[in-house]
Amino acid sequence: MVLAAISNGPPRDLPNLDPCVDHRFRFSSFRLEPLALYLLSKLSVPTDLDMMKPVFAGWILCGVLGMVRMVAETPGILSLAWTNGRPSLEFQLVPSVSEYRVRSTPSLGTSASPLAGKHWGNRWTSDSAAVGDSGFYQLEALPLASEMVRSSTLLNRIAYGPTPDDLNRLATLGTDAYIEEQLAPEKISENLDESTETGPVWRKVIITGTGSSSKLYLYLNGAGDAYLDDFRLVAGTTDNGTAANLLINGDFEQPLSSANWATTTNTVHSARTTDYVHGGNASFHLVQNTAGSSGTDSVIQTIPTNLSASTPYTLSFWYLTQSSGLQLTARLSGSGIAATVPLQGDAESPIPYYSRLQNGTATIGDLRAWHVLHAIQSRRQLAQVFQQFLENHFVTEYSKGLTYFDERAGLPNAWSGPESTRQEFKENIRWRQAFLNPQCTFHDLLKISAESPAMIIYLDTVLSRGDYNTTTKTNRIANENYARELCELFAFGVDNGYDQGDIEQISRAWTGWTVELLATNQAANPFAPRTTAMINSGLTNATERNSVTNLIGLWSFRYRTDRHDPRVKWVFYERDAQGNILTNSPKTVPARFGPPWAGRPYGLKLNNGTTTNGIQDGYQTVRHMADQPFTQEYLSVKLCRLLVHDNFHHGYDFTDAETSPEESLVHDCMLAWENPPQGGPKGQMRNVLRVILKSDLFRNPNTAAAKVKTPLEFAASTLRAFRASKPDGTLTARADAPSLVASGGLLDRAGRMRLFDRAEPDGYAEDAGGWISAGTLSERLRYVQSLALAGAGLATGTGVRSSPDSLGLSRMDPSALLALRLTNGANRSAEAVTDYLLRLLFPSEGSANFSQYRSLGIQFLNTTDNGTTPSEFAGLVPGTKDYDTRVRGLAALLLSSPRFQEQ
Amino acid sequence: MRSGTENRSDSRAMNTPHILTRRNFFSTATGLAATAALSSLTDVPLFVQKALAEGGIGQPNANGRVKKLLFIFLRGANDGLNNVIPHGDDAYGPKIRDNIAIPVDPAQSWNAQGKALFPEAGTTGATFAYPYSLPLGNGFAGLHPALKFLTPVYNAGELALIHRVAYPQQSRSHFDSQAYWETGAPRTNMVKDGLLYRAMVESGRAGKNSLTGVSFQNSLPLLLRGSRAAMTNLSDPTRYDLLGVPNTADGNLKAARTLEAATGASFPDKANRDLLQQQYENMRRTLEIFAGIDFSETGNTFVDSENSDGNKPYYLFPTTNAKNGAGPSGTNNPGYVVPTSAYGYFNQLKSAALVLNKTDALVAGTQIDGWDTHSNQGGVTGAHASLLQRVGWSIYALRQYFRRYADQCRWDDLVIVTLSEFGRTTIENSDNGTDHAEASVMYVAGGGIKGLRTDATGKVTHSGVFNCGPSDPVAWQTGMNGSMFQSTGRYLQRATDFRSVMGKVIRDHLGASQEQLNRIIPGYADPNQSLKSGGIQAQDKVRITGEPDLI
Repeated sequence: MVLAAISNGPPRDLPNLDPCVDHRFRFSSFRLEPLALYLLSKLSVPTDLDMMKPVFAGWILCGVLGMVRMVAETPGILSLAWTNGRPSLEFQLVPSVSEYRVRSTPSLGTSASPLAGKHWGNRWTSDSAAVGDSGFYQLEALPLASEMVRSSTLLNRIAYGPTPDDLNRLATLGTDAYIEEQLAPEKISENLDESTETGPVWRKVIITGTGSSSKLYLYLNGAGDAYLDDFRLVAGTTDNGTAANLLINGDFEQPLSSANWATTTNTVHSARTTDYVHGGNASFHLVQNTAGSSGTDSVIQTIPTNLSASTPYTLSFWYLTQSSGLQLTARLSGSGIAATVPLQGDAESPIPYYSRLQNGTATIGDLRAWHVLHAIQSRRQLAQVFQQFLENHFVTEYSKGLTYFDERAGLPNAWSGPESTRQEFKENIRWRQAFLNPQCTFHDLLKISAESPAMIIYLDTVLSRGDYNTTTKTNRIANENYARELCELFAFGVDNGYDQGDIEQISRAWTGWTVELLATNQAANPFAPRTTAMINSGLTNATERNSVTNLIGLWSFRYRTDRHDPRVKWVFYERDAQGNILTNSPKTVPARFGPPWAGRPYGLKLNNGTTTNGIQDGYQTVRHMADQPFTQEYLSVKLCRLLVHDNFHHGYDFTDAETSPEESLVHDCMLAWENPPQGGPKGQMRNVLRVILKSDLFRNPNTAAAKVKTPLEFAASTLRAFRASKPDGTLTARADAPSLVASGGLLDRAGRMRLFDRAEPDGYAEDAGGWISAGTLSERLRYVQSLALAGAGLATGTGVRSSPDSLGLSRMDPSALLALRLTNGANRSAEAVTDYLLRLLFPSEGSANFSQYRSLGIQFLNTTDNGTTPSEFAGLVPGTKDYDTRVRGLAALLLSSPRFQEQ
Repeated sequence: MRSGTENRSDSRAMNTPHILTRRNFFSTATGLAATAALSSLTDVPLFVQKALAEGGIGQPNANGRVKKLLFIFLRGANDGLNNVIPHGDDAYGPKIRDNIAIPVDPAQSWNAQGKALFPEAGTTGATFAYPYSLPLGNGFAGLHPALKFLTPVYNAGELALIHRVAYPQQSRSHFDSQAYWETGAPRTNMVKDGLLYRAMVESGRAGKNSLTGVSFQNSLPLLLRGSRAAMTNLSDPTRYDLLGVPNTADGNLKAARTLEAATGASFPDKANRDLLQQQYENMRRTLEIFAGIDFSETGNTFVDSENSDGNKPYYLFPTTNAKNGAGPSGTNNPGYVVPTSAYGYFNQLKSAALVLNKTDALVAGTQIDGWDTHSNQGGVTGAHASLLQRVGWSIYALRQYFRRYADQCRWDDLVIVTLSEFGRTTIENSDNGTDHAEASVMYVAGGGIKGLRTDATGKVTHSGVFNCGPSDPVAWQTGMNGSMFQSTGRYLQRATDFRSVMGKVIRDHLGASQEQLNRIIPGYADPNQSLKSGGIQAQDKVRITGEPDLI
């Protein structure tokens, strides 16, 4: 039996930190002196091998990294046992640890010497016998470099996850420099929405399938045209270029005839052309009048050879890229072979979406795709994360806008979607522009939201009236929806400095804020009347002539004096017991805020009368609310929850002597909001963000990986993790944004994250509980594994099915990434590959915490598909299917793991 | 604003209580069995002990049974007057519904008290050949003939037909009114989560069990939405398989094993790791559970043991022509039990039934769209009748399924409810349709439902028809100034608040305590709403019955 008497060494004093010294972390200062945990074993080594019982829990690690205190949460050794005379420790793991070491000494007076042993999971076992009956053991946890941890947290919080290049870049650049770079997005060159391609280029498509019929159809999914050339169809799963082409006139060098390429009514204008040519002297110009889908509306070739449904064939052809969003389909009747390709030049380019968003024809799917492509590719990652935060904070619902334009504004249904999309796009572009201003304030952002037709429609201000009703002899009662959410969700936070009476007063301020079709040159003038410019002024039917469908203009914010409640509003004033407003008693900021805020009166009297000055009621309200301490607190809390962890809330007592790190950080944010360090207006967002990113709490290893990814963050980070440039300029992972955001795509299935279309005004959840459930996780895993299978070249193997979920052109090629990053044959080492992927995907965890994942990874690589039959990974040749399958399988599993759901 | 039951400001406290630590999990996670026999899963004890020491939602009762709920939302507003038809009111008929009124059979006695009429298929083999209203045996009301399959359930005393259901200050917006039905909090935007979601939270199992509330439709309905735990919506249950690379039997097994081992690895504690650990375990169990449930078309072999049409038994979940009654015989395919356009819906209904029967899910449901019959509503046949066929067959088939194929859920353990945002105008419009109005019909069915009861002589001692009879507590007033015209001249006024029906079911069937019910349906705590015992509802001074006597 063991009687384990414990000597728990006293915590060492933390070194004094001189506030005058720059305590930013330096690599050399990193060698942490871990505080020891001593175990004293008093009696004989047990013979009972089952003897394994909890010994005690105490502190294990208390050190200093510059200014950063690392205090683990009551860690300890959970049990101590002897196996064949060897001590074996079970202990609680500590975040971000590169190595666990054990030292031993026979007595406390002598220095402890390292003890060789094996660490696996949360257990350490000595290689040799223990020190004697009364030995002391000291467990050390060597932390991962603080800079590494902070890099990882930064790339997961102010970016959509690390790319392989990002990790290297931050190692060179340093995290402070990265923060400052990202906080100044206007200085980061960005051309995602600008065309860099010199023009259309020819792209090749190859697809293998079965001969479901001998009719080949070519068509577009909408009206438009395309240039195609050099079609080949050969038997077998590959085309070496010399096999017999089963198609007639596939190179379009001969004149067209119904015997080779037959047109239908819908494609009758198609023709052979010499305008653009891939090979030879001519190509095919496919002209589609309306969307095609089958043999009755496409271009058809009846192949002279009878194809066999049981035989594989390979079809290849070239198409000329263009900027439209059209898709070309080439398929056999029966779809044994079917290729559908977007014609736009670069499938990852936001340019086509951006151009449609600019000209007002974009669908909500276009806006989502544009947004997701920026999330994945933008170099202004913080700005992109912040924009998603704003879109979600000032939530509006695309569907409600669509319904309004369709049912209330008189637009045809087909126009209502693009119009509602345009309004969503417009507010986002305005936020984006605002944040490019170094002194962008919260007031700027709140005002954009208040003025946005998307918001005016979403929270019902558009129909709200407060004017005098001569029938009832009272003023109409304003809709409170926007006023309530302005207080609760957009500025002050729930139950924070306002009450129902204030909501009623504020709701009257917004009466008259509507949406109207204004002349194009008057779109920024809220007092302009409805446009009178007509598309066709000659229409004799007055209703048709004056219909919004015949008017030229832009749907914009319009202020209507005739709907406004012109009476005085007393916002944030005290009331007597009967509910009468005490106009001499503005409410005051509660004592809990402490200086400089406590006791400040914050009543707002709105008295702008009946003229167009009445518009000032609304503007003065947001101006007044934007910098109140309630807003400072609530927005700081939300930003901390976005960037640090979920466990922040408003309502702290800032005067309390006991302050948690969370409360202190919120207070620091509020001070930076209130007193801008470099001067200028209050509420500068960059100041607040900087306070958070430079805080001790942000650096803390417990902050790393403490949040889960939303579906958007998961989708983007998955692709970014494997995304590096190959020497030929192509990428090792690429996204297909439309498939990600489509109905039935990942964002939809993994928790119904329909961007720009949140029905509830509280926005999508930032915390884990809203996103993590069995159903949503299984969709995430399914996505990852479909992605790993997509385009892997595995589809033709015996018994191997291809990816069951269409992910469009999304691809990842982890083998190619390994070839780039693991040179000199290291990409054939199971250990090196596993270590690389673990460091790539979980950079903040610390290798010592990955001992189990590591052995699983190595075992995965060293076994066949059944997971048990040994098959040395080193024996597989990069470039072969077997090698690729192993690597893709491991990549998919690591992306499927619980740890990759964290950020 | 603060919702009635949520505290959004402190998420951590809500998300991480009462869960196993990873350490505990790791010590209990043993083998690597990638698949497990269903039999070993159907009786798995609750994964986590109930968090709230209150109420019995989701808890086995003295007989070891767990009570469950299946909902069907009829989106678009069901014309209740064309479901349970007040023939006893002389105002009903061509006077107000010239083109769409349902006639009565001159050969039937409307005064007969007792069971409802179930017309046999008839000599033509036609399933819905009977062209008259079906007398419900209360001397007043009839059932639309497209609902004929409700009568076996009604006559078994297991169906409550609750007419004139609505809520105070009725909204006639689909969007708002559906939201009010789903949040259980009419005329307020303060409550933003669903009432069945809150019932699941009160069970203490939400977010802990793999499946608590499940819907089978395009998206998770507001009924099941909320921020503290994720309910599950499945558009397609066949998607629940773990894929490997390569996607082969071996590859999938290898992936499953490695993932399971990876899930059991030790890591330092972090904010969400217990939650992730637990939900991964839940997911693994869900995958295993679903692997043991045959959601496929070939697995759809459930047939009726009592009624048939011709020589073959009815398939309970018609998903193909061959499984749809007697099939396409005669004109307009009268041999079908449901319209051929309903196959997708019945696939979803089947999935909901399977999940309730094969897992420990407590609530499952789906929806039927298309009830917004502004024009050409039809009469005995037509658009509305075709929707009613779906409803009638659904309730009939679910009863047969849970009686014949019961596993974890018997018919006695189940209650089915239908919801619809409002009723439609009493008087037809110029397009032979009806417009948005107020009160409508709710169906509540289940083995424990107290519907029609008769004594030994056949005398009715308890009617299965609520609010559509001559002697109801809030009496149906007849005539052109009667119940059908009490609101704005052409709306049926409510006699029961839908929350009283839902409240009764949630408390007396699912097992909520009254305190829990006050949280699940906030109006219960307000005496001015009279939800429990009835009285005048203060908001618009309308008298309601309180909870119907249906359990």
